[in-house]
Amino acid sequence: MKEFITVSALNEYIGALLEADPILQGIWVKGEISGFRLFQQSGHMYFTLKDGDAAVSCVMFRSRNQGLKFLPEDGMEVLLFGAVGIFSKQGRYQLYVENMQPFGAGALYLQLEKLKKELDQQGYFAMERKKPLPAMPHCVGVVTSQDGAALRDILKVIRQRCPSVRVVVAHSSVQGVDAPRELAAGIGSLNAYGQVDVIIVGRGGGSLEDLMAFNSREVVEAISLSVIPVISAVGHEVDVTLADLAADVRAATPTQAAQMAVPDQTVLRDQLHSINRQLTRAMQKNLRRQAEALDYLMMRRIWRDPGEFLEKRHRDLRQASQALIKAMQKNLQTRQHGLAMAVAGLDQLSPLKVMGRGYAILSHQQTIIKSIEQVSPGMQLKARLSDGQLVVEVKEKEKIAHEKTEF
Amino acid sequence: MKKQSFDQALQRLEEIVEQLESGQLGLEESLARFEEGVRISMFCQEELQKTDGKVSLLMKKMNGEMELLDFEA
Repeated sequence: MKEFITVSALNEYIGALLEADPILQGIWVKGEISGFRLFQQSGHMYFTLKDGDAAVSCVMFRSRNQGLKFLPEDGMEVLLFGAVGIFSKQGRYQLYVENMQPFGAGALYLQLEKLKKELDQQGYFAMERKKPLPAMPHCVGVVTSQDGAALRDILKVIRQRCPSVRVVVAHSSVQGVDAPRELAAGIGSLNAYGQVDVIIVGRGGGSLEDLMAFNSREVVEAISLSVIPVISAVGHEVDVTLADLAADVRAATPTQAAQMAVPDQTVLRDQLHSINRQLTRAMQKNLRRQAEALDYLMMRRIWRDPGEFLEKRHRDLRQASQALIKAMQKNLQTRQHGLAMAVAGLDQLSPLKVMGRGYAILSHQQTIIKSIEQVSPGMQLKARLSDGQLVVEVKEKEKIAHEKTEF
Repeated sequence: MKKQSFDQALQRLEEIVEQLESGQLGLEESLARFEEGVRISMFCQEELQKTDGKVSLLMKKMNGEMELLDFEA
């Protein structure tokens, strides 16, 4: 027996080979549709893509084909994007379609997608680059054809909404070979002029080919270089141009762009009125609050009945002075008593008092006699008593030994 | 009149209202703010009453200078 593998394993192996190939997993293929079938129940599309003698089976699942803006049909030249895989049941490969464009438009589309991816990677569409629009511009710049309906629409809206706004138009063709350069130059000129607050770049609707200037690198670069906020206004609803992606704000039509660029003055006026009312009301409330604070202070008793307040102070004063007098009196009494005591003490020490008890003071010619040594018999002495004096004569002297107990 | 000063004025006016409404200001300060608010509000009103918006065409001359031409829509 030779070595073998099963059919399933073979298909599985081939499937894996296909899936591992980066080219086959994301490839654009051009061809003509034949045998187109749309299954109503599942919503999936099945067809064959042919060119000359070659053909490949294709499937486009419901989830992928829902975004299609046209219904494919047999004979249609299309450009498909998808991944190649194996249909194991029949052992053949097929294209799992992710995206389908009618060819012609498709070629343009391809080119556009490529540029879009490139510019996106370079950061031209980044949200953080977006500038806010001014609420009340004084001057609006417009880059468009001076003869176009777009400009008429823009001017009409601005006149209606905000007649005070100035408009500066930078004329540019909006389609054809010169359009990208002229549009970019217009944006540049308005930036150089410097007096405009916002720029509208746009044109009326047209086919994808007509709008290609707004898908050019020049215009995208000019928009992102603009220091003045840019509103894109390419008249189309469905597809988005690269200018739209680069612009700070995208408007679907020139009319809408003008509405975005300038405020409706009646709205602003209402806003101003309402803020004025708020201002007055807030001020009145403030005044009322201050007045209330004052009233509250004035309600205190001191203001209602100042007499009572003063009365109390008087009372306090009276009490204090009485207390002072009392204290002074008491102090005086204490001192008087002390004095009397001192005087009494002095009185006890007086010699007269001693003499009152029967003592006498002897003296001889102004000298007080304290010892018998000072006299001799026959001397005349003076004896002072409490109520008068005597003249006495010394008869004799006799010495007495002092007793310890006597003082 | 400077660019965008209407926006700034309106923003300032809103700030003033907020400050007054906060009730944190003293009498003199609130009077001063109120006066400022009234001044700003008058300025805004004047701005809104202007109707002299002209339409001009921006032309680049041969020497690179720019000039404005009246534009008849």
